[in-house]
Amino acid sequence: MLELRDVHSHYGLSHVLQGIHLRVEPGEVVGLFGRNGVGKTTVIKTIAGWVQPTRGEIVFESRILSTMSADQVSRLGIGLVPEDRRIFPGLTVEENLRLGFMQAPGVGRAEQKRKLEKIYQRFGRLAERRDQMGTTLSGGEQQMLAFARVLTGAPKLLLIDEPTEGLAPMIVEELFTLMRELVDEGISIVLVEQNVHAALELTDRFYLVERGQITFSGDAAEAASCAELVERISV
Amino acid sequence: MSSALDWLQFVLAPQMVNGLSIGVAVVLMALGLTIIFGLLDVINMAHGEFYAIGAYGAVALIGLGMSFWWALALTPLLMAVLGYVTERGLIQRVFHSKDRHTLTLLLTFGVGIVLEDVLKIVFGANPLRVEAPITGATELVGLFFPNYRLFVMAVGGLLIVAVWVLVFRTSLGAIVRAAAFDRYMSASLGVPISRVYAATFAFGVALAGISGVLLAPIYSVFPTMGRDFVLIAFSVVIIGGMGSIKGAVLAGLLLTQVQSISSLFISPVWNDPLLFGIMVLVLMWRPQGLYGKLGNA
Ligand SMILES: Nc1ncnc2c1ncn2[C@@H]1O[C@H](COP(=O)(O)OP(=O)(O)OP(=O)(O)O)[C@@H](O)[C@H]1O
Ligand SMILES: [Mg+2]
Repeated sequence: MLELRDVHSHYGLSHVLQGIHLRVEPGEVVGLFGRNGVGKTTVIKTIAGWVQPTRGEIVFESRILSTMSADQVSRLGIGLVPEDRRIFPGLTVEENLRLGFMQAPGVGRAEQKRKLEKIYQRFGRLAERRDQMGTTLSGGEQQMLAFARVLTGAPKLLLIDEPTEGLAPMIVEELFTLMRELVDEGISIVLVEQNVHAALELTDRFYLVERGQITFSGDAAEAASCAELVERISV
Repeated sequence: MSSALDWLQFVLAPQMVNGLSIGVAVVLMALGLTIIFGLLDVINMAHGEFYAIGAYGAVALIGLGMSFWWALALTPLLMAVLGYVTERGLIQRVFHSKDRHTLTLLLTFGVGIVLEDVLKIVFGANPLRVEAPITGATELVGLFFPNYRLFVMAVGGLLIVAVWVLVFRTSLGAIVRAAAFDRYMSASLGVPISRVYAATFAFGVALAGISGVLLAPIYSVFPTMGRDFVLIAFSVVIIGGMGSIKGAVLAGLLLTQVQSISSLFISPVWNDPLLFGIMVLVLMWRPQGLYGKLGNA
C-alpha cells in the first residue's frame, strides 16, 4: 500500500535520508528502528509531506506522494501521530479533536457528532476533560489525544513516531493495547519506537535505519533476525 | 466645582466619544494586521493602502449611483477578493523561501507603493469627499453627539465582537489558531493550509477596507490617507503584542483615547511623538507587547 523507492531528503545542505527503500502492505505493522539521530523521524516527515524528498519516489495506493502537500497526504488516509505529540495550545481537547475532521472533508455534522461520541467512549479520560485546554493534560493523556485526534479522520495508514517516550509503564501498556486494537480494525501502521522488545510483539516486519539508510530488515516472527536487530541497535 | 463638571461634560466627554469612533476603526485595522501576522508571520506593509482602497471603493461605488449602505456592504467583499488574489498571486510565491520575512516585507511594501500610485492615476491626487449617510446629532446626558460617529462606534464595536467570536468560538477560528501555532501539524490533520492563509489574508484586508469605508465620511479621501493611519495601527499591534487579538483591541482603544484626550492639552504636533513614545516605553517594559501570539492564548 505504501512504498518508498530510493528516497533522499535534505535539511538545507545536510543530506539526512540517503536512499530509503521500504514497503508497507495493507494491514501490516512495520517497525522502524535505529539509534538517535539516524533519520527515523525524517522518514515519517517525508512520508507525511512535511519534508519534500529531493530524490526518489513515495507511492501510496498507486498515487505519488512525493510532490503532495501535507494536507493532501492526510486526506488520502495517511494519519500522523507525531513525535512530541504536538497538541495545539489554546485549543480545548474537543477543539483539538474536531480539527481531525478536516482529514475527511464532506462528513456531515450528525456523522461528526456520532464519531466524536465513539471517540469519547473509547477515550473516557478525554471525555471528562473535553473542555479543558489540550496542553493542560498529562503526558499520557496528551498522547491519547494525539491518537484520538487522528482517529476522527478515517486513516488507512498511521505513522506513529515514538508514542511511549517519557511515559509511565502503565500508559505504555495502554498505548500498545490501543495500537493492537487499531491493527485489528484493519489500520496499517508504521511505528517508530525505542522500546524494541515491546514493539516487536506488535510488528510484522521491521527496518533498521542507520545514517539515513535502511541497513537491515526482517520478519518480526523470526527469532534470529530479531536478535540481530537488537544486537545492532545496542552496540 | 461646577466648572470642572462642565469641563468633563462638554469638553472631555465629547472628545472621548470622538476618540472612540476613531478607536474602533483603528482596532479594525489593527485586527487585520495582527491576524495576518499571527497566522502568516507576514508584516503587511500594504495595509494602509488597502484601507485607502476601501475608502476609494466607497467613493467609486457611490459614484456609480449606489447608496452608502451598499458601498459599506460590498466594499469589504471586493477587498477580500483583492486580498485573496494578492496572497495567492504574490505572497504565496515567496512564502516558502528562506528569507521570507524580508521578502514578504519588501513585497508588501512594493504592493503598497503600486496601489497608492494606481489610486493617484485613477482618482487623482486631490482629496475627495464622501457624504455621511446619517446626519444630525443625538442628545445623550445633555450632550449632542454626531449620529454618524455613534453609528461608526456601533458598527465597529459589533464587528470587533464578531471577529472575536469568529476566532475564539467557531471551528473556523480553531483552525486558524491551530495553524498559527503549528502549521505542519494542522496540515497533517487535513487543514488546507495555503487556502487558510489566503482566506485569512483576505479577511484582514477586508477589515482594513471596512475601516476605510467607515472613516471616509469623517476624513477626506486621498491616495496617501493610509500612511499616517497605518502607523497608528502598527503601534497598536506592537504594543498589544504582535498577533494578539485581545492586545489589539485594548491597545487600540487606549491609544486613541490617549491621543484624543492629550490633544486637549497639547498641540497636535505632539500626537505622533506621544504615540511612539508610549510604544517605546511599552517595548522597554515588555518587549513582547502586552499579550501573546494568536495561537498561544
Ligand atoms: N529541522 C531540522 N533541521 C536540520 N537538521 C535536522 C532537522 N531535524 C533533524 N535534523 C537532523 O537530521 C538527522 C536525523 O534526525 P531525525 O529527527 O530524523 O532522527 P531520529 O532518528 O528521529 O532521532 P531520534 O531517535 O532522536 O528521534 C539528525 O542528525 C538531526 O540532527
Ligand atoms: Mg525521532
